[in-house]
Amino acid sequence: MSDRPHRHRHDEGERFVAEWRRNATHLEASGLYDPAEEHDACGVGLVCAIDGKPRRDVVTAGIEALKVLWHRGAVDADGKTGDGAGIHVQIPQDFFKDHIRHTGHEPGEARLAVGMIFLPRTDFAAQERCRCIVEGEILAMGYGIYGWRQVPIDISVIGEKANATRPEIEQILIANMKGTGARRFEIDLYIIRRRIEKQVLAESLRDFYICSLSCRSVIYKGMFLAEQLTAFYPDLLDARFVSSFAIYHQRYSTNTFPTWPLAQPFRMLAHNGEINTLLGNVNWMKAHEPRMAHEWFGDHMGDLLPIVQPGSSDSMALDAVFEVLVRADRSVPMVKTMLIPEAWSNQPSLAPELHDLYSYTNSVIEPWDGPAAICAFGGQWAMASVDRNGLRPMRYTITTDGMLICGSETGMVRIDDAEIAEKGRVGPGQMIAVDLANGKLYRDRELKDMLAHGRPYGKWTRHVKKLDDLIKTGADERVEFAREELRRRQLSVGWSLEDLEMVLHPMAEDGKEAVGSMGDDTPVAVLSEHHRGMHHYFRQNFSQVTNPPIDSLRESRVMSLTTRLGNLGNILIEDESQCHLLRLSSPVLTNGEFEAMRAYMGSTAARIDCTFETERADGSLRAALSRICQEAEDAVRGGYQHLILSDKSVSAARAAIPMILAVGAVHAHLVRKKLRTFCSLNVRSAECMDVHYFAVLIGVGATTVNAYLAQETLADRHRRGLFGTVAYEEVLQRYRHAVDQGLLKIMSKMGIAVISAYRGGYNFEALGLSRSLVAEFFPGMPSRISGLGLGGIEHNLRALHARAYAEDYAALPVGGFYKYRRGGEAHAWQGALIHTLQSAVATDSYSTFKKYSEATRRLAPVALRDLLDFAPKKPAISIDEVESITEIRKRFVTPGMSLGALGPEAHETLNIAMNRIGAKADSGEGGEDPARYKPKPNGDNANSAIKQVSSGRFGVTAEYLNNCRELEIKVAQGAKPGEGGQLPGFKVTEMIARLRHSTPGVMLISPPPHHDIYSIEDLAQLIYDLKQINPDCRVCVKLVSRSGIGTIAAGVAKAKADVILISGHVGGTGASPVSSIKFAGTPWEMGLSEVHQILTLNRLRHRIKLRTDGGIKTGRDVVIAAMLGAEEYGVGTAALIAMGCIMVRQCHSNTCPVGVCTQDSKLRAKFEGTPERVVNLFTFIAEEVREILASLGARSLNEVIGRTDLLAQVSRGSAHLDDLDLNQILAQADPGDYPRYCTLEGRNEVPDTLDAQILKDAKPLLEDGEKMQLAYNIRNTLRAIGTRLSSAITRKYGMVGLPPGHITLRLRGSAGQSLGAFAVQGLRLEVFGDANDYVGKGLSGGEIVLRPGTSVAYDAHVNTIIGNTVLYGATAGKLFAAGQAGERFAVRNSGASAVIEGCGSNGCEYMTGGVVVILGPVGDNFAAGMTGGMAFVYDPSDELARHINPESVLWQRIEVPHWENVCRALIEEHREATQSRFTAALLNDWDRESAKFWQIVPKEMVARLSHPLKRDAAAARA
Amino acid sequence: MPRNLLKFVDIAKRMPEKRAPEARRHDFREIYGEFEAARAKEQASRCSQCGVPFCQVHCPLHNNIPDWLMLTAEGRLEEAYEISAATNNMPEVCGRICPQDRLCEGNCVIEKGFDSVTIGSVEKYITETAFKEGWVKPPRPMRELETSIGIVGAGPGGLAAAEMLRRRGYRIHVYDRYDRVGGLLVYGIPNFKLEKSVVERRAKLLAEGGVAFHLECEIGSDIAFAELRARHAALLIATGVYRARDIHAPGAGLGNIVPALEYLTASNRTGLGDKVPHYLDGSLDAQGKNVVVIGGGDTAMDCVRTAVRQGAKSVKCLYRRNRANMPGSQREVHHAEEEGVEFVWLSAPEAFLGDGNVRGVRAIRMRLDVADSAGRQTPQPIENSHFSVDSTLVIKALGFDPEDLPSMFGAPELALTRWGTLKIDHKSMMTSLDGVFAAGDIVRGASLVVWAIRDGRDAAERIHAYLTAKAGSHARSAAE
Repeated sequence: MSDRPHRHRHDEGERFVAEWRRNATHLEASGLYDPAEEHDACGVGLVCAIDGKPRRDVVTAGIEALKVLWHRGAVDADGKTGDGAGIHVQIPQDFFKDHIRHTGHEPGEARLAVGMIFLPRTDFAAQERCRCIVEGEILAMGYGIYGWRQVPIDISVIGEKANATRPEIEQILIANMKGTGARRFEIDLYIIRRRIEKQVLAESLRDFYICSLSCRSVIYKGMFLAEQLTAFYPDLLDARFVSSFAIYHQRYSTNTFPTWPLAQPFRMLAHNGEINTLLGNVNWMKAHEPRMAHEWFGDHMGDLLPIVQPGSSDSMALDAVFEVLVRADRSVPMVKTMLIPEAWSNQPSLAPELHDLYSYTNSVIEPWDGPAAICAFGGQWAMASVDRNGLRPMRYTITTDGMLICGSETGMVRIDDAEIAEKGRVGPGQMIAVDLANGKLYRDRELKDMLAHGRPYGKWTRHVKKLDDLIKTGADERVEFAREELRRRQLSVGWSLEDLEMVLHPMAEDGKEAVGSMGDDTPVAVLSEHHRGMHHYFRQNFSQVTNPPIDSLRESRVMSLTTRLGNLGNILIEDESQCHLLRLSSPVLTNGEFEAMRAYMGSTAARIDCTFETERADGSLRAALSRICQEAEDAVRGGYQHLILSDKSVSAARAAIPMILAVGAVHAHLVRKKLRTFCSLNVRSAECMDVHYFAVLIGVGATTVNAYLAQETLADRHRRGLFGTVAYEEVLQRYRHAVDQGLLKIMSKMGIAVISAYRGGYNFEALGLSRSLVAEFFPGMPSRISGLGLGGIEHNLRALHARAYAEDYAALPVGGFYKYRRGGEAHAWQGALIHTLQSAVATDSYSTFKKYSEATRRLAPVALRDLLDFAPKKPAISIDEVESITEIRKRFVTPGMSLGALGPEAHETLNIAMNRIGAKADSGEGGEDPARYKPKPNGDNANSAIKQVSSGRFGVTAEYLNNCRELEIKVAQGAKPGEGGQLPGFKVTEMIARLRHSTPGVMLISPPPHHDIYSIEDLAQLIYDLKQINPDCRVCVKLVSRSGIGTIAAGVAKAKADVILISGHVGGTGASPVSSIKFAGTPWEMGLSEVHQILTLNRLRHRIKLRTDGGIKTGRDVVIAAMLGAEEYGVGTAALIAMGCIMVRQCHSNTCPVGVCTQDSKLRAKFEGTPERVVNLFTFIAEEVREILASLGARSLNEVIGRTDLLAQVSRGSAHLDDLDLNQILAQADPGDYPRYCTLEGRNEVPDTLDAQILKDAKPLLEDGEKMQLAYNIRNTLRAIGTRLSSAITRKYGMVGLPPGHITLRLRGSAGQSLGAFAVQGLRLEVFGDANDYVGKGLSGGEIVLRPGTSVAYDAHVNTIIGNTVLYGATAGKLFAAGQAGERFAVRNSGASAVIEGCGSNGCEYMTGGVVVILGPVGDNFAAGMTGGMAFVYDPSDELARHINPESVLWQRIEVPHWENVCRALIEEHREATQSRFTAALLNDWDRESAKFWQIVPKEMVARLSHPLKRDAAAARA
Repeated sequence: MPRNLLKFVDIAKRMPEKRAPEARRHDFREIYGEFEAARAKEQASRCSQCGVPFCQVHCPLHNNIPDWLMLTAEGRLEEAYEISAATNNMPEVCGRICPQDRLCEGNCVIEKGFDSVTIGSVEKYITETAFKEGWVKPPRPMRELETSIGIVGAGPGGLAAAEMLRRRGYRIHVYDRYDRVGGLLVYGIPNFKLEKSVVERRAKLLAEGGVAFHLECEIGSDIAFAELRARHAALLIATGVYRARDIHAPGAGLGNIVPALEYLTASNRTGLGDKVPHYLDGSLDAQGKNVVVIGGGDTAMDCVRTAVRQGAKSVKCLYRRNRANMPGSQREVHHAEEEGVEFVWLSAPEAFLGDGNVRGVRAIRMRLDVADSAGRQTPQPIENSHFSVDSTLVIKALGFDPEDLPSMFGAPELALTRWGTLKIDHKSMMTSLDGVFAAGDIVRGASLVVWAIRDGRDAAERIHAYLTAKAGSHARSAAE
C-alpha cells in the first residue's frame, strides 16, 4: 500500500491516464490495438433468500463473499486499483425514502425507482447536460423526480489510476407519478434508459453510464478491490440495506486501464467467462432487430434498438440481449435456456419434452456459446447457471435458515457446519433459481420441467421440417462432367495434383483430414507469386487463455452442426410461427442431396449465378458482385425464403467468382438491408474442397454448402478405381464425415460448440486482404495489414481462367504448397540452403554460414519481415564495441520439441548444446528422464533448462518441476493452436511410456485445453501453483500469434508470468492436420508487435520478458524480432537442420531417414547430430547479430528492443495489390519513463499462502526428518496448500524419500483452489470441510483426505465436497473424499488412486493410469478418451451405460476376485480415512453390494492387465 | 498423404533383374531386365515423399519424381506417365542412361543407410508401360502455324526442342549429318545401355507428328547456313561436341590408337547391320586384343564394356585419379568390373610403345594432392613409378571439344567462347545472330543427355517467346 501523499498520488494517476489515452489513441489509429479485443473473467456469485423476503444478512453475505474473491481478480501495481467489483441488490425502499424525507419531501407510498449513474466528473458542462437529458426523458415518460443524491464514497480506498478515471457517482430518485404497476414501471424505466443512452451517444457526451435504473434493484460497482466495496460505498453498511438477493462480481481484466462502466454486475446478470461467438451473435441480433416487436414495448421498440451497443464487451452484449428478452415477458430461466441452452442434440437420454423445449429455442435464436457462469436477477427470478460445457465453476450451499449461496468457490461465506443443509454444484448446462415472488427454490430439473410444460413446444416444433429424412435417403448422385470438362474446371479454380492427393483423397479414403509436419515455410498468401485460393487469406481464430478450446472428438456430445434454414421470426414473441423452418443435421450436402433439397424448396428458392463475363473489361468482378447482391435483395423482397448461390455456369466465357467473396457480399448486404433473417443462403462452390474452405464459407454467412466439383473429382477418381472396392456412396459419406469433423474441429478451436453460433461470426483474421474489401464484404473481421483488393482478385481470376480455357489445355500442375516442388510455391527451406547450413555448422565455417544467410535473404519474400530492412539512425560502430557472442547466445532457446517427437539422441543433443552456451532448451511435452537431472561424467548437462507444462501433463511431477530454470505453460502451439494431439501407440516406446507414466504401445491423448485453464484467472492460479512447487523458477506462457493477442498478453502479465512466448503460425510440429498447419494463427511479427505495444501501453512491459519463435533462422531475423519487441529468440527448425534434418516432413510417420524425429531404433542409428554443430549454429547467428548491431551503431540487443523506428518497409509486394502496408506492426507506444525491455531481476513474486507458515512450523521435518502433525483453520483464499512444502520435501528428500504420512496437515474449513497440488509422498492433507477446484493437481505421491466437518447434519454422500478438475495429471498418490466431486474428476490421471462418492461430467477423461473408485452417480461422457488405468463405479440403478463414452473403454460387473479385492481394499481405506457412513454401510453389506459395481477398463489395456477380467479366463489361467 | 509409401524401412532396394556377367558379356543387349508390375510398385513405394525432394532438386529436368513414384506405387501408371512426360521428352532414355547415382538417386535422402529408390528403373518401367499401352502419342498440335523452325542436330537436345515446338504447332525441320536420327544416342551409346530400337521409336513418333528430318545433310556443304536462316523464322543449333581430345605423348601416332567415338560408332553401326570397313578390317574391333582404354568418364566406361563384348583378350582402364574422384558413374565401373575389366587407378600414360602398331603403354603412378577450394584433388606423378601395360588396341576416351562451327558453317559472325563453344545470351539462349539459338553440348561443352534435353526444352520456350514477341511487334507495326 502506498504511503505517499495523496496529492502526489493523484498526479501520478492523472498522468498515467493521460499517457494511456494518448498511446491508446495512437495505437488504435495505427490499427494495432482494438479495444474490442479486451477480455475479462472473474469470480461471480449469488446470495438469495429462498422465501423471497428481503433480509440484511443476504447483503452482508454477498459483501463477505466478495471479500474472499480477491484472488480471482487482478490488482494493479499500486496495490489498490482493481479491475472492478460490484454488487446488485434490491432497492431498500426505506433507506431511500428516509433520504427523501431528509431533503424535505414526503415520498408517497408507491415504490420509487433509483438510477445509479456515472456522470462526467471534470467536465461540468457535460455533467449538467447529462443531468438534463436524464431528467428530460424521465419527465417525458410521465414520471416524477425526487432529486439527485450524491452517493457517499471514500476515495482514499481506491488506487490513483482508478481515481483519475473516477466518474461523478450519483443516484436519481424517481417517483411513480403514474401509479403504474411494478412491471410496467420497470419496462418504462428500461425504455427511458435506452432513450437516455441514445441521446447521450447522439450528443457525444463521454463518461456517462447508467449502472442501473430500476424500481426493483440497484447496482453498486466500481474500480476498487472487492474487499473495498463497503469502504468505498458506505451505503452498503447501512442496516436498512436489505434485499432478497445479492449478485456480486469480481473482475479480472486483460487491461490495466480502469474503466468504471465495465465493472460488473450488469443490469440483468454478472458473468464469469467469455462469449466466444460474440461477433456472430451481435451480427445476428442486428439481423433479428427488424422483426422484433412486443406488446409491452409498443411504439417504443425503435427506442430500444440497437439492442447491443457498439463497443460492448461480451458480457455487456449478453446482458443487453438477456435484458430485452426478460423485459419481453420471458422468465430469467427461460432466457437462459434460449441463449445458453444445455447440450441437447446429441443426448439420447434427454427427456422428450426437454428435447422439444430446446428444439423450440433453437428455432428462435442462435445460442451464445462459451464459458459462462452466470448469476442473474430479473423480475421475480434470481438464478445461477453454467454453460453447456460446464467450463466455469458454480458451487452452492443451502442453509438451514433458507439462504441459497452460490458462487465460483465454496466457502466464500462462513457458515457453521450445523447450519448447512446442502452443498452442491451447478453442472454443465444447469441452473438453480429462486422464484422470489412465490418464495420457492427450483433445482435444475424442476426448472426445466416447468419451462418445458409452459407451452406446447412439442406440437409447435412438429412444424420444423427435418430435411435429412427427405434428402439423405437414396439421393441420386449422378456424375455430370466428362474428363476434359472436369479438368478445365479444376484448373479454373487453381487446384493442383497435390491438392487432390494430399487434401481431397485422404478425406474420402480415411474419412479424416491428412496429417503433415514441420510447419509452414511457404509465403503468406499475399506475398506469394502463385495463385492462392480465396480461403488462403483467412486465418482461423482459436482460443487461448481467456477461454478454452473444446475436444470435438472426445466431447462430441456437446457439439452440434444442426442447421436451420428459412425465414426466422420475431424473437420477442413465443408462438408456433417461429417453427416454420427446415432443419438439417449438417450444413454439408452432396450433389444429390442438394438437388433433392432444391426440389423440395421448389418455388421458395431463387438461384443466383455467381460468375462473371471474362470478355468484359476490368471491373466486371465488382459489377457482378453488385448484381448478385441486388438479385439477392430482390429475391428476398419478392418473398423467396431460400437463396442458392452457384458458380456452376462457368464456361470459356464466364469465370467463377470465389464463393467466399460472393457469400460474404450477399450476407453483408442482406444484413445491412435488414433482410438476412428472411432467407437461407445455400451455396454450390467449385473452389471449395478442404475443410477450411467450408469453414470460411459458413463463417462468412453460408447456411449450407455443396462442394460439387470436389464431388465430381471424387467420382472421377472412383471411376478410375482409386478407392479399391469402396462404393461411391461410401466415398462420399467419408468425405462428408471428414468435412463435418473438420468443421467441428475448427469451431472447437474457438471454443464454439454449435454451428449456428459460428455461422456469420467471422471467426477469422484477414491476412493480406485489402481493408476496404474486408470492410465491405466481411465487416467486423480483423484485418491488420492490407493487400489484395477486388482489382487484384480479378487480375488473378482472369489469369487462372485463361489458362484453364486455353486451347492447349494441360495436366494439373503438380503443386508445391505442402511440399517443395520446382516451379511451385516458394519454400523458405530449400535444398541448397539446407546443405549450406549443414556444411557451415559441420565445418565450423562462418563464411559458409554467411553464404547461407545471404542466400536466405535473396529468396522471394516468405515472411512479413522480408519486406522490411534496417534504417540506421546512428553511424556504425566497431564490432568490438558490441556485446559478446556469449551474452547474445544466452537469449536463445530451442523451442519445445518433445521426446516422442524427437528421438532421444536429438533431444539430448539439443539440451547439451544449449546448456553449454548458457542458453535454454525446452523439454517439450512428455516428461524427462530423471537420469538427466545429474550432469554426465564428462560434464555435459543433458537436463532441459525449460520444462514444459502442457495440457497432457505427461510426467509433470514435483521432481520434474523442481529441476529447471523455467517452466513453460504451453497454452497453444504454432502449428495447431487450439488443438490437442495424439501420440499413436506405435510411438509409445518403453522409455516414453516410463517418462509419461503410461503403458508402452498404448495411444496417448493431449487434450486441446489445459483443464485447469478455462479462463484468465485460472491461468493466474496455475502460475501461482507452479511458483509454489518451484520457488525459484520463472514461469513462461506460450501463446500463438493472432489478433487480440496483446490484450491476452496483458492479462497474462497481470497473472504474474515472467516470460511470454509469442509463437508464429509457421511453427514446426511432429504432426498436425494440414489445414491447421496452413490456416491457423498469424505471423509472429504481428503478434509480437501487438503484444509489445499493448504491454507498453499498460506499463507492464518492463516487468516481463518477451520471447518469440517461428521460422527464425538468421541474425537478421533475430534483430528484427528484437526491434519488434522480443528479447529472447526461439530457433527450432534451423537447430534441427543443424543436427541433420533435411525437411523430409514425415515426422508423423516415424520414418525420419536421418534419425532426428523418430523412435525407430533402426532409424535413430542414422542420427549424426552433435552438440558442437548446434553450438556453431547459435554462435554464427549471434555473430551475425553483432555485425548488424555494429552497423546500426548499437552496443547491445537491449538498445534495439522495441525500436521499430529502426525498421523501414522496403517492398510493398506485387503490383496488383492495393497497398500492402506494414505500418501497424511498426507503430510504437510511448514507454514513458520505463524501458522497452524487461528489467525485472528474479521473478514476479506471488503472495504467500499458508505454506509460508507451514514451512516455519515444519522445521523439525525439513531439518531433522522428524515425523509431524500440524493443524490449521483455513479459508478459500488459502490456495495451493501443501505445494510449497512438497517442493521443500522434494529438494531435501526426493519425491519418494519420505514414508507415506510422515507429515500430516489437519485443516478445518474450505480449502482454496489447488489443494495439495503436486503433493509428494510423505505429505498427508486431512481436510474437515470442503475444497474448491484442482484438488490434487499433478499429485506426485501425497495423500489427500476430505470429509465434512464433524458436526454437519447433512448426508455427505449426496453433497459436493470437492470442485472441478481434481487429480488432473496426477502421477501418484491417493485421494479420499467423503462426498461428490465436480466435473472432470481424475482427468488425465496417470497413477493416483482415489475414492469419491459421485462426480460430474467427463469423469476419468483421458486417464492413462491409476485406479478410481466412485461410490455414486457419474456425470455424462464418463471415461472419454481413457486409455489406461481402471475405474470402479457403484451403480445400483444401472445408469452407467447412459453416461459412459464407449469409444475407448469397455465395462462389466466385477467378475474376478483379484479385481474385487483391489476395489474393496481402496474402499476400506476410504472408510478408514474419511469415516464415511455411507461407505461403512456399503462394506457392511459387501456381499450384496459388490455386484452393483462396474469395472471400467480401456480396450487397449485388456490384453495388458496383470489379471484377467473374465471369470472364464481366470479359471483358464489358474 | 502418402498411402502405401515410405516403405524404405522395411523393403530393401532391388534393381530389376540384372543379367549375370557371364551371360551378358557376349552380347550387346541391355543388361537390366524390366520390372514386373508388382516389383515396380513395391520399389516405388520405398519413396519417402520428402518435403524437399532432393531427387527433383538435383535432376536437370526437375522431374516430379516423388509424384510419379507415388502414382506408380498406387498402380496409377497412366497418370504417372502423364506427370513424367510433362517434364521430360524421353523418359525411357533417361531412365536407362542417366547416371542416376550422381543425380536423383545419388541425392535420394534414403540413399544413406537404406539405398536409394530405384528411380531410373521405375522411370523406364513407367515409360515402357506407356508405350505398350499406347499412351505415348506423337505430338499433335491443336492448330498448325505457318512459322517454320530449323533445328541443326538430331540428338537429344534437338529432338526435345523439336517436340516441344511441334506441340505448339510450328513447322519443324531437323537437319543432321548422320544417316540416322538420335545423334549420340544412336552412335555414341552402346546397345547394352540403350537399345537402338528405343531411339528409333522416338524418332518415328516425331516423324508421325509432322517433324521433317533432313538426314545426311551437312550444314555448310550440303546446304549453306545463310540459306538455312532464310528458310526458317528461327534456327536452333544443337550439334553437340564431337572433336575428340587427343593425347600428346611419344608414340601417339602409332597404329591401333583410336578415338573413343570412332570405336563406339563402328560398334554401334555394326550392331545396326551397317558394313563398317574399319570394323571389318579389325582395326576397330577389339576381338582377341589386349585393350587399354584411357580416361575415366562415361565414354571410357562404354568403351571398356564394348571391348569386353567384342571378345577382347584383356581390358584395362587407365585413369589418373582414383575411383572416388572419377567423373564417370560408379555404377558403370561396377558393371565393368563384373564383366572383367581391370581398372588401373592413379596412373597416367606417358608413352605408347611399339612400332607401326601399338604394343604397349608406359604409364606412371599418380598421387592426389590435398583438395583445392573446389574440393577437387589434383593428381601429381610419383617419381620413378613407371610401369608398362601390354596393349594391342588403345582407345582414347579423354573427352570432347567443340568443332569449329563458324568455319564449318561458313558463318564467321557466329561468336564463340574461349572454350570454342557457341556464345549465347543466357536469358534468351540466342547466339550472336538474331533468330539463331543454340542448346546442348555445343553451348555447355560435353555433358549429359539429360542436360541436352533440358536445354532443348528451354530453347523451345525461348524460341517461342522470341517468335511471339516478333509476331506481336509485326502485328503492331502492321497496325500502325
